[in-house]
Amino acid sequence: MKVAKPGISIPHRGSRTKLTGWWFVIIAVVMIAAFYFYPMIQALLLSFKTGKGANLHYTGLDNYKRLFSDKTFLTAVKNTFIYLIIQVPIMIILGMFISVLLNDRNLKFKGFFRTAIFLPCVTSLVAYSIIFKYLFGTDGLVNLGLTKLHIIAEPINWITDPFWAKVTIIIAITWRWTGYNMIFYLSSLQNIDNSIYEAARIDGASAFRQFFTITIPLLKPIILFTSITSTIGTLQLFDEIVNITKGGPGQSTMSISQYIYNLSFKYSPDFGYAATVSYSIVIMIIILSFVQFKVAGDK
Amino acid sequence: MIDFVSRQTLTSRSTAIVHKYRNKKRGWTRMKKVLAILLASSLVLAACSSKSDNGTEGSNGNDTASKETKEVTVWAWDPNFNIAALNLAKEAYAAKNPDVKINIEENAQADIVQKLNTGLNSGTTKGLPNIVLIEDYRAQSFLQAYPDAFYDLSSIIKASDFADYKIGPTSFDGKQYGVPFDSGVTGLYVRTDYLEQAGYKAADLQNIDWNKLIDIGKAIKEKTGKDLLTQDPNDLGLIRMMIQSAGSWYTKEDGTTPNLANNAELKAAAETYKTLMEANIVKVTSDWSQFVGAFNSGDVAAVPTGNWITASVKAEATQSGKWAIVPFPSLPGAAKATHASNLGGSSWYVLNTDGKEAAADFLKQTFASDVDLYQKLNKQIGAIGTLKAAATGDAYQAADDYFNGQKIATDFAAWTEQIPRVNYGMHTYAIEDLLAVEMQNYLGGKALDKALADAESQAETQIK
Repeated sequence: MKVAKPGISIPHRGSRTKLTGWWFVIIAVVMIAAFYFYPMIQALLLSFKTGKGANLHYTGLDNYKRLFSDKTFLTAVKNTFIYLIIQVPIMIILGMFISVLLNDRNLKFKGFFRTAIFLPCVTSLVAYSIIFKYLFGTDGLVNLGLTKLHIIAEPINWITDPFWAKVTIIIAITWRWTGYNMIFYLSSLQNIDNSIYEAARIDGASAFRQFFTITIPLLKPIILFTSITSTIGTLQLFDEIVNITKGGPGQSTMSISQYIYNLSFKYSPDFGYAATVSYSIVIMIIILSFVQFKVAGDK
Repeated sequence: MIDFVSRQTLTSRSTAIVHKYRNKKRGWTRMKKVLAILLASSLVLAACSSKSDNGTEGSNGNDTASKETKEVTVWAWDPNFNIAALNLAKEAYAAKNPDVKINIEENAQADIVQKLNTGLNSGTTKGLPNIVLIEDYRAQSFLQAYPDAFYDLSSIIKASDFADYKIGPTSFDGKQYGVPFDSGVTGLYVRTDYLEQAGYKAADLQNIDWNKLIDIGKAIKEKTGKDLLTQDPNDLGLIRMMIQSAGSWYTKEDGTTPNLANNAELKAAAETYKTLMEANIVKVTSDWSQFVGAFNSGDVAAVPTGNWITASVKAEATQSGKWAIVPFPSLPGAAKATHASNLGGSSWYVLNTDGKEAAADFLKQTFASDVDLYQKLNKQIGAIGTLKAAATGDAYQAADDYFNGQKIATDFAAWTEQIPRVNYGMHTYAIEDLLAVEMQNYLGGKALDKALADAESQAETQIK
């Protein structure tokens, strides 16, 4: 990828000023090294060890080989990718759609709608998960509403049926994160010069045409950004799963992060293998981000 | 995230966006600075507080000879049960040993497990308590994963003073590490009024097996419209109770070899479970509060579970006199079927750190010997201990009006002694998660032998 040099160039000065500069960043550098890089390297080393609790010993690549024969891990990966493939596009499209609606000049109570849609993002993950669990319970409000409206005859087992449990999780994350992504779109929509649209209108372009040939291309960097952060967020999905379904029924909603937690704390502690699984997430994030850059990034 | 933003800055076409993101980037750096300051200050704070911790710990450990005030810190969960029990024990102990200060700290069970794991694994025992409560199903995973972390109590308490089934989980390598605490002895709590409407009495439910209970459940459903019991598909507690009542477990005697594919008791339990689930007499729940809510609101006729549920059952005062407790139904077709089983229950462990002698002495004088204490525990919080001598006390002979004058403590104490001893091993929860999946498959039509064989082969790769 070609990267243009930033417009502002820093005038060259003596090495003394450079040293002073380093003194300013040294605290941050040390902190980042101590709290980011050191644990990362330690975790990488840990991922080559096996054993219960404190009885760890090096076993080379055994843990990585184990990943491929571990059905639970594969199920967790599969589930995570189902969330990813279904939920991320829904959320991105929905976020974009809402932001375009909210960007309408003639819309009244804009502030209210924006706040209302953004509000889910400031709620605690655990708190909203628990509320969703009760809303979607067999005796919950959602079932009650749907049966009273005669949309469904029998209550749906939102939490205890393998298929519906996944649907519940997808609905929950979409509710929580759409507003967050919408804010990014909204802020960049406001930076698109209105004269471009005006020119398009004079040329006779329809609203659809304007959306697809002006809005989307100009939003592309933001679409890339939101899809990468959403992908990362989905790969690290934990709170919702643990609080709404506990990964169940069976393992039908289990995410990779939850499996890491289970390996470390629910089962006999196997920190080595847990570190291996967490590195598998790192690898997946790198690959997916790379693909997304290639597909959507500027050539 | 910072990286992505900065790349965005460079590649984006619109200068407006560039400007926007510069601002954003600046915002990030500012936030990072704030974070750094916060981190630095928290480090300083941590250093200060750990210094003061060191101070007290030092005086604890080194000056045991001099009669200074000793401190013992205990971690447990559940304020209404374990913490309440600790407070009673603290009171009893303080009367005889005024020089020892007992600090009781309440943490959720999951938090205790996490803190212990991270603390023991990092090798620093600072910040860990002297005594900790561990659930019996998890005990072996701690004892085996951290061999020198716990203090050997073999010379301090006598294993034979306690219910036999508690010794398996609390000892390792021939050494007794835990002081057995509460009994998870199971019973079948039944609504006598629903039974009567269906033409049964509580006496008809004495010593029955699960098939008979399912028939009764169908009759109840027909007459009253109420379900027999609740089940959470994620929680195989019922299966665990069934197999332990027949002297079997997920693993073999050694506690490490998975015992699923050729386990006759597990097979019988799975078949019974399927019959139960398909009889249309089960209310499906997904968590604890729905479980408690179901019987408190009168939606189910029976609750097969550990005796620790008594307090939750009695919490609904309007149902007083409508409940009875009968022995746990036996597993149909099992060779060693009994009417006694266990669900949950935990024990006290002393960490092998400074102050272990004082901590061991506290346990020795309270939970390991004090019969009077157990009477108070039973009267005030309804706890059934596993100290055999406790059952001779007067509280254990008392009749409970809520249960129509039934001497529930006497019954539970008697059943406790009959619980078959099994080795829970260190993989109960790992295997159960695999089994839960296969159980769903089995309910969905997969052949049982195939389901159990698959669970076993997965367990073999999982348990390493």
